[in-house]
Amino acid sequence: MTDRRRINGPPSGTSPPVFASSLSSKVFPAKRKRAPDELRKIFLKTGLTPSASGSAYLELEPSTPTAAHKSLATKAPALKLTCTVHGPRPLPRSAPFSPQLSLSTRIKFAPFAARQRKGYVPDAGERDLAAHLETALRGVLIGERWPKSGVDVVVTVLEGGEDALWNRGQSSDGGRTGGWGMMSILSGCITVASAAIIDAGIDCIDVVTGGVAAIVRQPTAPPQVFIDPCPADQEEIYATCVVGYLQTRDEITELWTKGNVTLSIDLGFEHLLDQAVEAAVAARLVLIEAIKESTEIKVQTSRIGHPKNAAS
Amino acid sequence: MATTTTTLPPLAYPGLPLGSSTTYTSGPGTYLHVPTSTIHASLAGQPHLHPANASTSKPTLTIPRLLPSPTHAPIPSANISNANTLPRVGAVVLCRVVRVRTRQVDVVVLAVGRGEEEGGGEDVCGDEWQGVVRREDVRATEKEKVLCAEGFRVGDVVRGVVISLGDQSNYYLSTARNELGVIMAKSEAGNTMVPVSWKEFRDPVTGERESRKVAKPF
Repeated sequence: MTDRRRINGPPSGTSPPVFASSLSSKVFPAKRKRAPDELRKIFLKTGLTPSASGSAYLELEPSTPTAAHKSLATKAPALKLTCTVHGPRPLPRSAPFSPQLSLSTRIKFAPFAARQRKGYVPDAGERDLAAHLETALRGVLIGERWPKSGVDVVVTVLEGGEDALWNRGQSSDGGRTGGWGMMSILSGCITVASAAIIDAGIDCIDVVTGGVAAIVRQPTAPPQVFIDPCPADQEEIYATCVVGYLQTRDEITELWTKGNVTLSIDLGFEHLLDQAVEAAVAARLVLIEAIKESTEIKVQTSRIGHPKNAAS
Repeated sequence: MATTTTTLPPLAYPGLPLGSSTTYTSGPGTYLHVPTSTIHASLAGQPHLHPANASTSKPTLTIPRLLPSPTHAPIPSANISNANTLPRVGAVVLCRVVRVRTRQVDVVVLAVGRGEEEGGGEDVCGDEWQGVVRREDVRATEKEKVLCAEGFRVGDVVRGVVISLGDQSNYYLSTARNELGVIMAKSEAGNTMVPVSWKEFRDPVTGERESRKVAKPF
């Protein structure tokens, strides 16, 4: 659907020209330097949006390019997500009686999030991601504690979704690798939304975190499972799996697999799933530290909340 | 009388197991996982232990909800934040009258009272929740003679109790107790009035009397 209400920027690329000759060294695509079971570094902080009832910001550091640090063109994108939670608030007058908390999720790419400019109207991919996020979160909320109210979870992707490098001249890549980046964005969305919901003080049965794993083709060796694949690493991916995982209860609220898992017998679906769960468990450590940090601040500053807090 | 024992962690986050349901009961901010009979935290915050009383045989585990940025609160006794507080059935609430009809009084709920075990006081709602006091819930006696217009005026601040979650948009409230009813009212001249009887307020400036369903002052 085209957006006819606003004056939109050019649909494809406003990138400055890249002069190949000015680069002294040849630009190679970034190669994965992490171990197969090593995540990108995660930055997570809650309570950054004062107008929301709960909020969180998540950043995954980019893979460092191998050469030509001076060139803007080779700068691999980071994943930057911000999430705000509004509510629980009264349902609109037209809504029917709901004995539970009604959850609505929205994921929006900022227009500048990727090189391919995004419109203001959510496209099919964003709506699809939001539906996946909703399933992941619905399983952790204790909805019966908040009757007749609704909560809005809004995730804004500030940077991400770059499936190819700039200098390759193939922004959308003809759909070959297109879509793999969405998987790691969804995983980040689950983690950041979980943090924001806990910050808003909405009852949850557990901390849900997202994790991704992928079966990646190796040039000389048999295919291998990498956790947290970075789209900018230019790996050739056979299959990817995202989970939303609750560690305390050993439950999965969201599972999304894409690609051909049966390519190699010994790396079956279950192994891929186990690795995605491993990634989620690792992200959980960061999430819990972030929650503890913000909770401590809240406890210290709530001189007036619960009068008994002062005693301990 | 909350005590924090050494067995409880100083900070809890959702999912953290806090104790067995054989020794504790689950209170607000926690939930009972039935298959393992374990009480887990459902909120991030400080767990508290309330000793057993007449109604509960076991001590109750609770986690008070932490509201963000209480430093913004203009009233020191109230917690104001964007995080919302919901009216609960049985809770005493403060509301403002927005419309008086023949069969019911429409109000908006502004603050929800905390229970005695939570330390008293009120939590201010982030949003206004719609409520309604039906004619038969205005007072306990002579219900058939109640006239809504004689009990309330638009703008009055009313103390009421939530009797049900109500229909799709309104909470059902009741003022049928001595200590419930109008607690703050302005006269037609615009002056804040003082209660003089169970059914009248008086304007201290003009001396005019106006009828209300007056809440008994504490």
